[in-house]
Amino acid sequence: MYSERISLILSKAQAKEGDRIRLETERGTFEGILMPRPDTGNSNVIVIKRDDGYNVGVEFSDKCIVKKLGSRSGEFSFPKYEARGNRSLPGISMIYTGGTIGSKVDYVTGGVYMLTKPEELLYEVPEIYEMADLRIRNLMSIASEDMTYKEWASIAETVASELNDGSSGIVITHGTDTMHYTAAALSFMLKDLNATVAITGAQRSSDRGSSDAFVNLVRSFQVAAGSDIAEVGICMHAGSSDGKNYFIRGTKARKMHTSRRDAFKPVNSTPICTIDEGGKLEYISEYRHKEHGRGKVKAVTGFEPKVALIKTHPNSDPGIIEYYMGKGYRGIILEGTGLGHVPSSPSIKDLSWLSNVKRAVDAGIVVGVTSQCIYGRVNDKVYRNLRLLKEAGGIHCEDMMPEVAYVKLGFLLGNYKSEEARKMLAVNIAGEITERSVADFDLV
Amino acid sequence: MRDAEYYKSIGFRCGLEIHQRLDTKEKLFCSCSAGIAKDKEIGRVERFQRAVAGELGLVDPSTKFEGMRHRKFVYKVYEMSSCLVDMDEEPPHNLNREALALGLKACAVLKAGVPDEVEVMRKVVVDGSDPSAFQRSMMIGFNGELEVDGKRIAIPSIFLEEESSSIEGRMDNVVVYGLERIGVPLVEIDTGPDIRSPQEAKNTAMRIGLLLRLNGCAQRGIGSIRQDVNISVRGGKRVEIKGFQSLETMDIVIENEVDRQIKLMEIANELKGVDIKGGSIVDLSNEFSGVGNGMINEVLGKGGRVMGVRISGLGGFLGREINEGRRLGSEVSDYAKMAGVNGIMHSDEDLSRYGIDAAIQTSIKKRLEVKEGDAFVMVAGEEKTARNALTLAIGRAEMAKEGVVPETRNVDSKKDITRFMRPLPGGSRMYPETDAVPIGVEGRYYAEIGKGIVWEDQVRERLIAELNNVQLVEQLIWSRELQRYFRITERTGADTRVVADVLLEKFRELSRQGIDPYSIDDAVLEDIFRRFASGKITKKAIKEVVKAMPKSAKDVDEIIKKGNLERISGEKLRRLISEFAKDGEVSRSEIMSRYGFNIEGEELNSII
Repeated sequence: MYSERISLILSKAQAKEGDRIRLETERGTFEGILMPRPDTGNSNVIVIKRDDGYNVGVEFSDKCIVKKLGSRSGEFSFPKYEARGNRSLPGISMIYTGGTIGSKVDYVTGGVYMLTKPEELLYEVPEIYEMADLRIRNLMSIASEDMTYKEWASIAETVASELNDGSSGIVITHGTDTMHYTAAALSFMLKDLNATVAITGAQRSSDRGSSDAFVNLVRSFQVAAGSDIAEVGICMHAGSSDGKNYFIRGTKARKMHTSRRDAFKPVNSTPICTIDEGGKLEYISEYRHKEHGRGKVKAVTGFEPKVALIKTHPNSDPGIIEYYMGKGYRGIILEGTGLGHVPSSPSIKDLSWLSNVKRAVDAGIVVGVTSQCIYGRVNDKVYRNLRLLKEAGGIHCEDMMPEVAYVKLGFLLGNYKSEEARKMLAVNIAGEITERSVADFDLV
Repeated sequence: MRDAEYYKSIGFRCGLEIHQRLDTKEKLFCSCSAGIAKDKEIGRVERFQRAVAGELGLVDPSTKFEGMRHRKFVYKVYEMSSCLVDMDEEPPHNLNREALALGLKACAVLKAGVPDEVEVMRKVVVDGSDPSAFQRSMMIGFNGELEVDGKRIAIPSIFLEEESSSIEGRMDNVVVYGLERIGVPLVEIDTGPDIRSPQEAKNTAMRIGLLLRLNGCAQRGIGSIRQDVNISVRGGKRVEIKGFQSLETMDIVIENEVDRQIKLMEIANELKGVDIKGGSIVDLSNEFSGVGNGMINEVLGKGGRVMGVRISGLGGFLGREINEGRRLGSEVSDYAKMAGVNGIMHSDEDLSRYGIDAAIQTSIKKRLEVKEGDAFVMVAGEEKTARNALTLAIGRAEMAKEGVVPETRNVDSKKDITRFMRPLPGGSRMYPETDAVPIGVEGRYYAEIGKGIVWEDQVRERLIAELNNVQLVEQLIWSRELQRYFRITERTGADTRVVADVLLEKFRELSRQGIDPYSIDDAVLEDIFRRFASGKITKKAIKEVVKAMPKSAKDVDEIIKKGNLERISGEKLRRLISEFAKDGEVSRSEIMSRYGFNIEGEELNSII
């Protein structure tokens, strides 16, 4: 935003952002398009886009003269790809939810914004129309950090209705930050799923030629249209190179890097399959196959928002549990240390979590225990303190990741009574718990 | 050589874009080393790039052209000189302030104004030379000027930007780049279209390079400065030429380019009113069953095709010479090559050298429906590649009517001519770098930088006092070793004339012997001169030590020791002389032939 002073001067000159202006200063004359003020920096500096495309910032002084030369020529819009139906191809629905994959720069204003029309994104990847009879569902356009259980429910319902309406596979475009939470939520919510649901996104926005969006989209369609996997999974880059994608089970994927293309890794699991440059699928691990006559998919979308995910650490105050009890929470997932420890007999007695956990459990709250190690399985026997936590009522959640345990407990409490939820928490429903801990030397 | 009058008569206009890598420790937007030395390769990544819609929803012509080529890019990742930022795997870090200061110094040298706030932009690049598919660039100076041989040359814009990556190999549709260079800060200085002759272009480039070197802006080393030249003549279009290897031949290349542009306009003039049009592409493979030519047989043997197309109205013109040994057909061929074929065959060349006899030619003409006054073009290769190649060839052939085509061209340094590289980019390829914040530049700060500027006359004066040799001074001023001369003489106290002689003469000699003394590390070179200044080695031995290219001070001592290069002087020298004395006579030449590297001639003379 420009300062009040500048805004006033600009409005006197009737110059709006996007208009062509001339700025006469003591240091020379600048001509070009008036740009909006970036959020940072000096708000008395006017930004002008020159004819060679460069922006330049000129500080406004009393001796400057602003003149409007012309109005903004029309609204900026991206070209769109006109969908052509091809009934001989598998019917795939693309559910658009926003995120970096749909982020573009408005070249006139310079701001990044989310495309509201998926056709604008598909303009860059017309080959998708050669792979699938595409149906586009423009569900929402939000950043994934803003996703809530309401959006999860809405996505799950859309997936169910699309599939029950005849689509044979689903591609969901999604922001990457919380993609793995959504993937877990859909894994639990979609009952009797009999199709591939591929969630994909991008770590580089699609306004750049190097964006991973294009390859991720194409390969998501390849797996959605060409596999017999009846599961929800994340389809993103397998490495920094564009050569290969992973399709990772929705309850076993986690974003492990802030910015790299291959941020998503399978945890305590291997990818279900890889998809290579030529679109070839290579199956790596066991998965749920599609079956004839499985019937319709149901979206079971109940979710209890009053579930907390708490990380314990040296000096952490167990009083946080009282806080959540006071707020009426029904579930807590503890992200403990190592094999699933919480501080149990520290030298400062008040920092022991055991009695607080016990109080919570006694009050009917379901308390699950996971590990901040992320990789590996928790255990309730190896050390005395682990046994004490179990005695206090903590449920060790096997090889489930903390975030998945959180989503699962919210799902269970949203659809079942607390007592049932307690029993189901450490039992596999959607691939979130595996019996065997297979050695994988590449991924950890 | 043509005179200034000639260039005036044809309306010659020329402007330069000088790209100079800045002498900074780190890269522009990350903390990787900006030194250009190769380090250890730790991995490779492979990427594709797409032509994305740019400003106003349009795809820039140069971007679209690249996008059509569907190439795969391989990037070599190096341990010390590349990181996730360079790989397009992490947002940029803060702008390197050292680079900004050097960039502003360049602005001050060129008397340019600077913006109150510098805005970082993305310039779309899809030839793969940047893994992010754009180059970060910012305008840091405007309305500057420069005097060259008494004439004012305008410097409308100065930019601070990232270097691209270096191309290491190319095969079919795969290009290999190294990431050690990408992101190194460089300053781009654009002149106005004020230059009126090839000689003036060369002089302007030299002078800008000199001023940057004098002021410590310039990174040393081959390729650290590049000149792009924009040329047009009256009635034509602007053409940008990249890839000048040296300033030596810049004027000759420009002269040849002017010839080419004039010839193209002559052709266009003759084609007025003629309808030039490409026909449809026809598969001619079965016409070649009996052809004995190796190339065609090889392509067909591998399952490839020979495809052809008629170009109506262009008969006779493809063979017209536009540069020595180059025809309009060569221009068309250069376009076709971008699709990945080796070249074209066309109706204005001797087709019998491909084994295509008159009978086959007649048959081809029939298939392509070639009439009197038409030309045809053929390409051999994999079907899709051949089709792409012909599409590009038709595009260029149809532009024959337009005369000069706006293009970015590359210097062919073997022939001192230019060749097509890609269409000239338009304005649709700049947009704001949303990952970087604007940078305020205070007037006071810029004024402070301006105070430290070194001008040519000051330097000349100082050097004349130090070297007392006008010729040597001029050589040194124009040399890339000037900064080292100052550093070494100031830090080691070594004799100024010896330092100048080693950096200019001895380095040149070594370079002729196939050794690259210019890449020797600054600190190591200083150590060598320190040994000389303290009397540990002789003048003559300096070159010998440099020749061994030591990597550290320890190596310097070892080379001196192993090579028996220690200086013999004082009492030791007296003793040595007495050993050589025969009947009271000392043979100077005998001593020098054995101890030439160890004894300073002057000392020997004074003792004898």
